[in-house]
Amino acid sequence: MDIKSLINDAKSLGADYFPMLMRKSAPKFVTESGNAVYGIVAEFSETPKVFSAAKKVRDAGYSKWDVHTPFPIHDMEEAMGIKTTKLPLMAGGAAITGVCIAIVLQWGTSLVLYPTVVQGKPFEAWQPFVPIMFELGILLTAFMCIFGMLALNGLPRFHHPLFSHERFYRVGNDRFFIAIEATDPNFDPIKTKKLLEEAGGTDITLIEDVD
Amino acid sequence: MTQIAANSPAPDITGLQDADWQARLEKIAADPRMSEENTTIESASVSKIAMGLFGVGVVGLVLTFIGALSINGRHALGAFEVGVFTALAISLGSLFWVLVFHALNASWSITLRRQFENIATIVWFPAVLMIIVALIEITQGGVLLKWLERGGEYNHLLEVKAPYLNAPFFMVRVLVCAVAWILISRTMLSWSRQGDESGDRYLGRKARRLASFGIPVFAFTMTFMAFDFLMSLDYRFFSTMWGVYFFASCALASVSAIAIVATLLRKAGKLDGLVTEEHFHDLGKLMFAFVVFWAYISFSQYFLIWYANIPEEAAWYTNRQQHGWQWLFIVMALGHFALPFLLLIWRNTKRTTMLLCGMGVYLILMVVLDMVWIIRPMVYMNAAGDIDPGLAGIWLDIAGVVGVLGIFGGLVARKISKSPLLPLKDPMLHECLHHKNYV
Repeated sequence: MDIKSLINDAKSLGADYFPMLMRKSAPKFVTESGNAVYGIVAEFSETPKVFSAAKKVRDAGYSKWDVHTPFPIHDMEEAMGIKTTKLPLMAGGAAITGVCIAIVLQWGTSLVLYPTVVQGKPFEAWQPFVPIMFELGILLTAFMCIFGMLALNGLPRFHHPLFSHERFYRVGNDRFFIAIEATDPNFDPIKTKKLLEEAGGTDITLIEDVD
Repeated sequence: MTQIAANSPAPDITGLQDADWQARLEKIAADPRMSEENTTIESASVSKIAMGLFGVGVVGLVLTFIGALSINGRHALGAFEVGVFTALAISLGSLFWVLVFHALNASWSITLRRQFENIATIVWFPAVLMIIVALIEITQGGVLLKWLERGGEYNHLLEVKAPYLNAPFFMVRVLVCAVAWILISRTMLSWSRQGDESGDRYLGRKARRLASFGIPVFAFTMTFMAFDFLMSLDYRFFSTMWGVYFFASCALASVSAIAIVATLLRKAGKLDGLVTEEHFHDLGKLMFAFVVFWAYISFSQYFLIWYANIPEEAAWYTNRQQHGWQWLFIVMALGHFALPFLLLIWRNTKRTTMLLCGMGVYLILMVVLDMVWIIRPMVYMNAAGDIDPGLAGIWLDIAGVVGVLGIFGGLVARKISKSPLLPLKDPMLHECLHHKNYV
């Protein structure tokens, strides 16, 4: 992953949350009506079919795509080639930040700014600081876990372009879908459609991103 | 309503029919991983290791005995007790895990459970040593346990505590606890072995019932033995956290020991595909959890005593903040918590067999140091005026620990070869064969 695409990702993530501050870069593909192309969605009727199709899409080198199923499918993350999440590293960073804040906050106030004798304990005693260090570390880690998870998932959001596709609602019942997004560098309206056809998808539809 | 005849078998609430069960057993037996060669280990290949460990153990114990004669009986008994309580922590922790696995119907651990059961059954060895220590203490009138000393001047604290801290009741408690541990662990292993032969799926439910009642029994016996032998080394001291503190060492030491045993078995070419990196990952998670748990418990205990500053409690820690023991405090904080915390938090450490085995050895060493931290300073406090071997006497400490743990390890190695390496016909085995961590 190069820096340019990283910046692009960050921009589009920012534009999702703060549309008043940032704009998404201009769409690469536009339909005749002038709307941006969200991507191509293909329908599958059985778990094994969608599983093997996911492997094919993975091997074709796509990175911005998703499989939508009515229930969790074991080993799907392997079939999709999803890499381990960055969330643990982010949470670890938050934990260290929390501990550091606690150290500075307590040492700063009780040793430098306003030294006060409490129960005759020495000023430089580290023991009473440990619970605060622990709690603040846990607090920031929990915040990072929740909000980092939401940000990485692109949540919360009011609408998703896939919901404009009538047949997609069967994903809550008995159908499986693979959606490949137009922002993917490998995306090509014709080639991607062909790939999904070869993988056994039916009702392959181009989805517009209507603002 | 139809009347169920009094002696008819209980209806199976799982809905699993005998025919289904037979089909499942056949499917498991047909699995190539369940071959005879993969699931059993010949006693010949184990006896070499066992003999080596016995040799080391006997040398260690002989050296401890020499130390008792040449240096000081107190120091020798202290070193010996460090070994006894590390061995007790390993086997009692294994007993705890066996009970928990049965009570919670855990399926991930089944391919490892026979090793837990094996180590739990060896609890007889530290239990017998514990009885011997108690007998020495009582007949000698208190070697390390000062409250057993007869005569002397009037001591109000001892008078008040006499209903609990007296020799006959002490001996009764030791015997009751030892018998309870040996009975429960042997029953668990024998049912597990019976299942290998008969494939009786109701044994699992029987084991679950015993396990559910066994956990409180384990909790009380473990707590009172920790009180009697470790906390009452200083009869003035008291801590309601003490049982949990010892339990943290139990759970940690046993999981570490299992990681070592499982690695050795995998290196010997056994349990291929049965104990995978997924199982090591779970063992690693438990290790990590109990490293943190130990730190949490021991700090809470220290923190409350430090804050309250009540003389008879605080003395326990002030004694350990001088004469060089403060260095052990720092070693424990960094070595028993910070370092393993940072190492075990990484997924790859938990999933790499050799790394986790290394962590197991290291953490058992840390549990030994924890026992040293509990027992040894009191020996020096109590033995004021006796010969102080100083740092030159450190060979005695090593000999005591190595002696007990060597023989303990030899017994475990011999036990492992005596039955298949996993419960062959466990009701939940089919789940364990596909165990995978999705996180």
